Amino acid sequence: MTPHQERTGPGAVPAQAAFLPAPEGTKKAVTDFLKTLMDQGGLDALLVPVEVPDTPFHAWVMVKKSEVLDKAHPLPPVMSVQGGRALSSLTKHGTPWLHIAAVMRPCEARAAVELAKLKQVRLDNVVLITIDCPGALPLAEYVADPEKGQERYKTVADTWHENEFLRPACARCHRFSLTGLEDGPSEGPAPDDAPASVDIHIGLLGEDQNGILLLPVTPSGAEILKKTGLEADRPTAGWESRVRDLLKKKKEKRQAAHEEFRKDITGLDRFLTVFDPCINCHNCMNVCPVCYCQQCYFDTQTQFCTSSVYMDRARKRGALRFPPDPLLFHLGRMSHMVLSCVSCGACEDACPVSIPVGKVFSWVADETQPAFGYSAGTDRGDPLPLQNFLKEEFCEIETPSACGQAQSTEVKENA
Amino acid sequence: MPKALKMDVEASQGVKNFLKHLLESGKVKGVFALKKMNDSGAVSYSLITSVEELASAEPLMPLMPENAGQALSRLTVKEALKEPVAAVLRPCELRAFTELVKRVQGSEDNLLLISPICAGVFPLSSATDGSWEKQMASYAESSREGKIHPGVRKMCQACTSFIPGRADITVAFAGRKDTGSSCHLILDTPRGEEFAQGAPGTPETVEKEPAELAPLREARAARRSEVFKEIDVQGQKGLIKTFAPCLGCHGCMHVCPICHCVLCVFDSKMYELQPWSIESEPESKGGIRVPSGTLFFHLGRMAHMAVSCVNCGMCSDVCPVNIPVSEVFSMVGDQLQKVFEYVPGRDVEESVPSGTYKEDEFAGIGEQ
Amino acid sequence: MSDAYNPRIVGFLCNWCAYTGADLAGVSRARVSSSLHAIRVMCSGRIDPLYVIMAYLKGADGVMGMGCHPGDCHYLKGNYNARRRFVMLESIFKTLGLDGKRIGLWWVSASEGKRFAQVTNEFTELMKTKGPNPFREEMFI
Repeated sequence: MTPHQERTGPGAVPAQAAFLPAPEGTKKAVTDFLKTLMDQGGLDALLVPVEVPDTPFHAWVMVKKSEVLDKAHPLPPVMSVQGGRALSSLTKHGTPWLHIAAVMRPCEARAAVELAKLKQVRLDNVVLITIDCPGALPLAEYVADPEKGQERYKTVADTWHENEFLRPACARCHRFSLTGLEDGPSEGPAPDDAPASVDIHIGLLGEDQNGILLLPVTPSGAEILKKTGLEADRPTAGWESRVRDLLKKKKEKRQAAHEEFRKDITGLDRFLTVFDPCINCHNCMNVCPVCYCQQCYFDTQTQFCTSSVYMDRARKRGALRFPPDPLLFHLGRMSHMVLSCVSCGACEDACPVSIPVGKVFSWVADETQPAFGYSAGTDRGDPLPLQNFLKEEFCEIETPSACGQAQSTEVKENA
Repeated sequence: MPKALKMDVEASQGVKNFLKHLLESGKVKGVFALKKMNDSGAVSYSLITSVEELASAEPLMPLMPENAGQALSRLTVKEALKEPVAAVLRPCELRAFTELVKRVQGSEDNLLLISPICAGVFPLSSATDGSWEKQMASYAESSREGKIHPGVRKMCQACTSFIPGRADITVAFAGRKDTGSSCHLILDTPRGEEFAQGAPGTPETVEKEPAELAPLREARAARRSEVFKEIDVQGQKGLIKTFAPCLGCHGCMHVCPICHCVLCVFDSKMYELQPWSIESEPESKGGIRVPSGTLFFHLGRMAHMAVSCVNCGMCSDVCPVNIPVSEVFSMVGDQLQKVFEYVPGRDVEESVPSGTYKEDEFAGIGEQ
Repeated sequence: MSDAYNPRIVGFLCNWCAYTGADLAGVSRARVSSSLHAIRVMCSGRIDPLYVIMAYLKGADGVMGMGCHPGDCHYLKGNYNARRRFVMLESIFKTLGLDGKRIGLWWVSASEGKRFAQVTNEFTELMKTKGPNPFREEMFI
């Protein structure tokens, strides 16, 4: 029993959105929109993945000239650098004079919102734009054979989560659209103060497949859309119901996957076995958007012992693996960041020994975040659970239990 | 010809028997070697102190979950070993450890260094999907024949320093026809001889690099120049192309045994994008890559460590986007080592090129 | 390339020799190329290879290191270390097919104002013939 109220969620789906015809495919329509945005939206720069010449790869680029956008790809086939990290490296030290729009996958935008709470991203001058995400391919498969990957990605982009090519994190992702929709009320108008994490959302799942929908989620998003001369005159109900249908299906899939996984992993022995192959490269941590620390505790020599201590530890069990304590690293990292985990799967993609890091972390995130009534990246105004507390909460874990004695605690404190 | 000890068992079993003898007789108090973990079957380096645990040790298993040089550094950097420990590591790992000892990141005191004539290791990816085990038979065979096994790491296929230079005991392995039935331990140093006294086996003398190994060395050298040709890293275009998919995870740096700095400059604030460059740089270019400095990281790291690169191949192996990091660094390292007449890991007393100088060298520089 | 093209050169000047030499060049009114953007370092041995690489990748057309003549180092051996570092950088540039002529090390003592002007002007001329550093336009560094 926690005093946190059940989330009302953003539910801030605008009733109407602008429609942009896409005679040459959605990718072209989106980049055209971005160009208009740059030319007329009063923006200085755009952050978007751009194709590296002569390669099948995309890198985040802060674009200053709109012709660069010809090579932009808002939904590249793989998630290389997590967009939250890219935005952090751009805005961390402050760029108040630059009005930037960042175009990201929903999980990347959620990471950006978390990073903003951690003071690693400054969102005050950033327009966050998300886009309905069909998912991405596993990084390792793509780099091994980019041609095949590009072929597969066409299927991925067309079939909307009904394919077997998605990377595991995307296959069980239910937050692929406007963030917050998954927690919000299923119907009825959104409350006026409904929080939102993004400014504009690009809907690819609209009823009219000959174009894209541009949803002005926040007032500032609406203002920018207005500047570009696009009229929000299309109802979004059709798009919303299609998204909600898919969302429901994926949510069930996610829960089923977690249930399945729970059997494989709970218990120390099984947990150990999952992390046994860890080689201590810390790739998972370094690509994690939420793990922002300049120097992680686990990269220091704090845990290094003298050789005598290592010998003693080895003697106790007959052998001591090197590097020791992989679980300490993973559980330690988990305790530091899992409440902000956005389930983007970057960690899994980067693991050279194929440990299902993302699976473990996103499962634990799903278990822990609701306990605080928190959902990472959903609401810019919602403080981080560990930076916040209520006096009358979690009394059940206290001994003796203070449930129902909130008042007396207060008296004590006053006295 | 150096003295040796011959045992009539398969090579890796022989090494295990020898380690068991050392541990049982109390000549060493611990063994540092690859070991299968009991629950999962995953392999890691382990410090083994009991004979029972030694049973699941796999000293010659062709995998490298971590460069052992790095692991030994962790074991000995805060305090030199107080009790004798026998360590089994591959030649490149031994070179890495030597480089680390030079940099005061470890100590060789009380370590008995045992290293095989190496036939290469399988990439981590094949350890993960288990495909290496299926290749073990062909690996053993090509090792006996002195041939390159196509399944091993690219850098292993292209490695010409497969004979350990400064081990106390060398295990004759690659290129020896009888490793299936006998194990030869070459006692390179007096220390090696001392520890081998009383060990099971018959004394003999063997050649450390017999004529049979010459074809292997040639094949590896040829493969090496092939590998360097395969990577297209020439000039600005080649560099941008090669490092295009880089995630900036710095995994290559973290697993690199030579990169020992606790806080690398590329993990520090200095490396981060500063507002003033966001203002000026993109104007002329039309945009900048973020996080920026991908090439700077790789070239900078190269400038700091390539001269000591031991070609272990860990960096390529952990790269999540298959950048041929090790190939590029080895190619540059080869040239640098030629310029400075330096061989990483050759001699623990030899100073690192960047830490020393001669007054009369490179006389033309600066005078033009 | 227009006649107006003026290369941008970053120079790392040792405080005790080259920087003072540059001063002398100024005092003796020698004509020194305006391309050089001088950065004072306390010793040529302080020029971390990273500085050179960073200047080069960020689009400097040329990078000059300047220090005391061998044997004259204020800190006894810094310039010998610098020499090794530039040898190393040149080797890396050569192996990777980058233009190693865009970087270099010169010995310029405090009394060599004339030499300072001369090497700077010569290097500027060389960079003029080479044209802009292509990395200046590179988005994906």
